[in-house]
Amino acid sequence: MIVGEMWRRLIFLFRNAQFHRELEEEMEHHVAMKAEARRRQGLSPEEARRAARREFGNSLLLRERSSDEWGWAAIESFMQDLRHGFRMLRKAPGFTAVAILTFALGIGANTAMFSMIDAVLLHPLPYPQASQLVLAYTANQQAGIAESPLTYPDFTEIRDENRVFSAVASMGIHNLTLTGRGEPSIVSTVVVTPQFFSVLGVQPLLGRAFLPADGPRGAAPVAILSENLWRSRFGADPKIVGSSVDLDMRAFTIVGVMPAGLRSPFVPASEQVWIPLVQDPLFSSWMTVPGRHWMVTLARLKPGVTRTQAEAQMEALAARLAQKFPAQNAGWTAGIRPLESEVIGPDVRKALLVLLGAVGLLLLVACANIASLLLARATVRTREMAVRTALGAPRARLARQLLTESALLGLLGALAGIALAFACVHGMHSLLPPDMPSLRPIRVNGEVLAFALALSLAASVLFGFAPALSAVSGNLHAGLMESPGRSTTAGPRLRVRSALAAVEIAVAMVLLVGAGLLIRSFVALTSVSPGFDARQAWQAEISLPRYEYSTPDQWVAFSNQFLSRLQAEPGTKDAAFGVPLPFFVQGDVVLGVRIVGNPPSQHGAGPMAHYVSISPDYFRVMSIPLFAGRFFREEDSSAAPRVAIISRAFTHRYFPRENPLGRQLVFGFPPNTQVSRRIVGVVGDVRDVSLGRAPAPMMYVPFAQEPFWGGTLVLKSPLSASSVNAAIRQAAASIDPNLPVTNFQPLQSAVGASVAQPRLRALLLGLFGALALILAAAGIFGVLSYSVSQRTNEIGIRLALGASPGSIRKMALAEGAKVGAVGLGAGALAALALARLLQNELYSVTVRDPATFVGAGVLLGAVALAACYVPARRAMRVDPAIALRHE
Amino acid sequence: MGRRTENQKIEIPPGTLYMLILKTLANGQMHGYGIAQRIHQLSGEVLQVEEGSLYPALQRMLIKGWVVAEWRPSENNRRARYYSLTKSGQKQLGAELSEFDKVISAIHRVIETA
Repeated sequence: MIVGEMWRRLIFLFRNAQFHRELEEEMEHHVAMKAEARRRQGLSPEEARRAARREFGNSLLLRERSSDEWGWAAIESFMQDLRHGFRMLRKAPGFTAVAILTFALGIGANTAMFSMIDAVLLHPLPYPQASQLVLAYTANQQAGIAESPLTYPDFTEIRDENRVFSAVASMGIHNLTLTGRGEPSIVSTVVVTPQFFSVLGVQPLLGRAFLPADGPRGAAPVAILSENLWRSRFGADPKIVGSSVDLDMRAFTIVGVMPAGLRSPFVPASEQVWIPLVQDPLFSSWMTVPGRHWMVTLARLKPGVTRTQAEAQMEALAARLAQKFPAQNAGWTAGIRPLESEVIGPDVRKALLVLLGAVGLLLLVACANIASLLLARATVRTREMAVRTALGAPRARLARQLLTESALLGLLGALAGIALAFACVHGMHSLLPPDMPSLRPIRVNGEVLAFALALSLAASVLFGFAPALSAVSGNLHAGLMESPGRSTTAGPRLRVRSALAAVEIAVAMVLLVGAGLLIRSFVALTSVSPGFDARQAWQAEISLPRYEYSTPDQWVAFSNQFLSRLQAEPGTKDAAFGVPLPFFVQGDVVLGVRIVGNPPSQHGAGPMAHYVSISPDYFRVMSIPLFAGRFFREEDSSAAPRVAIISRAFTHRYFPRENPLGRQLVFGFPPNTQVSRRIVGVVGDVRDVSLGRAPAPMMYVPFAQEPFWGGTLVLKSPLSASSVNAAIRQAAASIDPNLPVTNFQPLQSAVGASVAQPRLRALLLGLFGALALILAAAGIFGVLSYSVSQRTNEIGIRLALGASPGSIRKMALAEGAKVGAVGLGAGALAALALARLLQNELYSVTVRDPATFVGAGVLLGAVALAACYVPARRAMRVDPAIALRHE
Repeated sequence: MGRRTENQKIEIPPGTLYMLILKTLANGQMHGYGIAQRIHQLSGEVLQVEEGSLYPALQRMLIKGWVVAEWRPSENNRRARYYSLTKSGQKQLGAELSEFDKVISAIHRVIETA
């Protein structure tokens, strides 16, 4: 019965038009029958019909009451409002287009930015229950070490003795050479302990994860592939499990494939190989080195265990370790940190939040503009509202209808904005630092859509509220008396609109100052010399498989042979080797140094310097100048006395009043207290980490004395990229056809990549600033045009009484200037307060940079004045005769 | 109000309109004007059904499923909407009649003893 009733109601909803038609016909029939009865009583047909109509009463009201019975009154009147709203929007296409476009800009920019925040800050880790994941670290207050990886004994103790973690694993990155099946290549290899995948909580796509039996020394070498590598390199071979691949010339049995969504933390590559720690030639040799802190350790908290409990457990274990291994562990404590906060550094977080704030401000400007537009329309419609009120429309209903209209605008704007956001999110990845594992793809998902819709509805209702109120609260009599050209209710609305325009200008000022600061900082950054000449210079990476090239002598022999083959050709004669190169991983290797003859330093406070191993021609190829002593020579071989070259920053910091030449340094990689090196030269400084960071002290050693199983070739050549690339590959293949040459690129691109972030942020904020500028100009233009048109009458009287057109223009401009000045002043104050948020992103520009503030103010002032000029001219040209006839 | 003093007609007591319509339709299908006329005649021209109450009431009864409507030519050769009673309408009529009886006899008892 109830179901039947609901069904009938539903049918009614869909046959609404038919219902009304039928009801009308029924009424007609009723009236006709009545009229017939009257006629039979002797009235004339005309009189009979009139009498019947009179008796029947208001058929419209009756129809409405009949349809109200069906219980859809609210929806029906809403649909009516909606239809009416659409009609009104269609009737004012200019207004509608501008409002929707403005809304779309604000909503689109905000949605795109929010989708990034959603992916990066709200869900940074694509693992199940990611909040349980922590990074374990050790620290030594006395030595001033705030955070350090674990030693191997630390790791085993924590793994085996804790009661708070469900799994503990360590990971390292060591890229190996993959050979067999196609071109040799270097794969991102993540070296892990067996529980790694249990910590992350992921299941393999094929085969199995690592087992405890894969962990100990002597276990068979096994490997797990990522899905992307499996597809690209192995053609998604379904029988891959059990087959074998060569990593650094050693056979590994593939036991599993991990799904594409899985990336190791800190490793952005989508193609990865995982191998057990004991199988890696580099890391496994460190397992027996006492006191070496190298194990990056992840752990998963057991369900229900809090971080505080885990912290306490870590401290207890550290204390136990200090008793067990007093020589290595005395003074060391241990702790945990949520993995989420490790993956997203505070700098990235802050930069993103600043950008989100900036688009928020942009939306504010957009909303102010729309509110102003709606107010202007409300004025035009004062009469319409008054007439409808007089005809009996309840004021609440009118207000609701106006709100429906602005919500409709907001919704249309949101749709356009979401389309805009869809177009934008593809490019959003480039806003993130390249080395950040942007683990989750940035896209417009349900949450983002909900955000966009909520935002637009809130904005449109909020900003539609004032116009709706002002439209229906007016004096009915005054409203009816009003003529379109001259309004008595214009005063308060004009004040509100002036205030809105001032707010827009203030916010635009804030955005322009932010953009100006970032742009000036970027310009300063890019005009900094890195200390070397990257023009016509190329780099390429060579990595020697360590099973084939196992001794340092082999590495030196290879590099000598490789360089001499390149140098023999005229086009590639400027070739050198460096480990590592600037902007690559240079600066990652920072070593403590002891200066022989200086008093021993306190723990942790001793000299530190960036370490680079180079071939003799390196400084010449890089154009790094020599200030004292000499460059390295071929004679500085492994048999010769150990030598080193230091940078000027090293000299300034650690030899402030002495000649460093001939002094002895003790350092090494790994540290070796037995070897001291004589300083033979001082070279120019190099900005090796980023252009924005002052040059650090550096020390260089000859590659022949400190060789490595590979390195980066740097080559200066006027030849084209493809011929340089071919020459390098040919030289490598002529020595060993299995050697991969990777990462071939101009040296300049590494330098450029280091400023990509500041450039993008400056660009984005610049874009927001420009949009805000346009919107603010439109805002003040609208207000002033409106004010002039409302005062046509007054201006006519003034002109008739002898005011000069020039003075009229001045009066109108002064009005605009007042609004502009208030906005500029407020904006400058707000910018002063907010610019501090940019402090960390600025290079050689202070947050109160006067040039930026003055520049932004002048630009904004000029644009605002230009926007005022058009309506001011119109005021000047008012014809007094026409204006006065207005009355 | 004016009409009432002029024609000596009184309006339907509240709550009984559904019962009267259902009872009228029990004799066969009828259009809205017919229903109003029949009630007027049968009551000795005392009861007057206002169109403003009749049509909303008919809609209500359609929703409840007590009556169904169909379009048919009427006696003056125009299209008219004819209402007829459903099974559930007949049941409702029975329920309303016995309810009404109870109320009337209760009122009688009150009036006689008072």
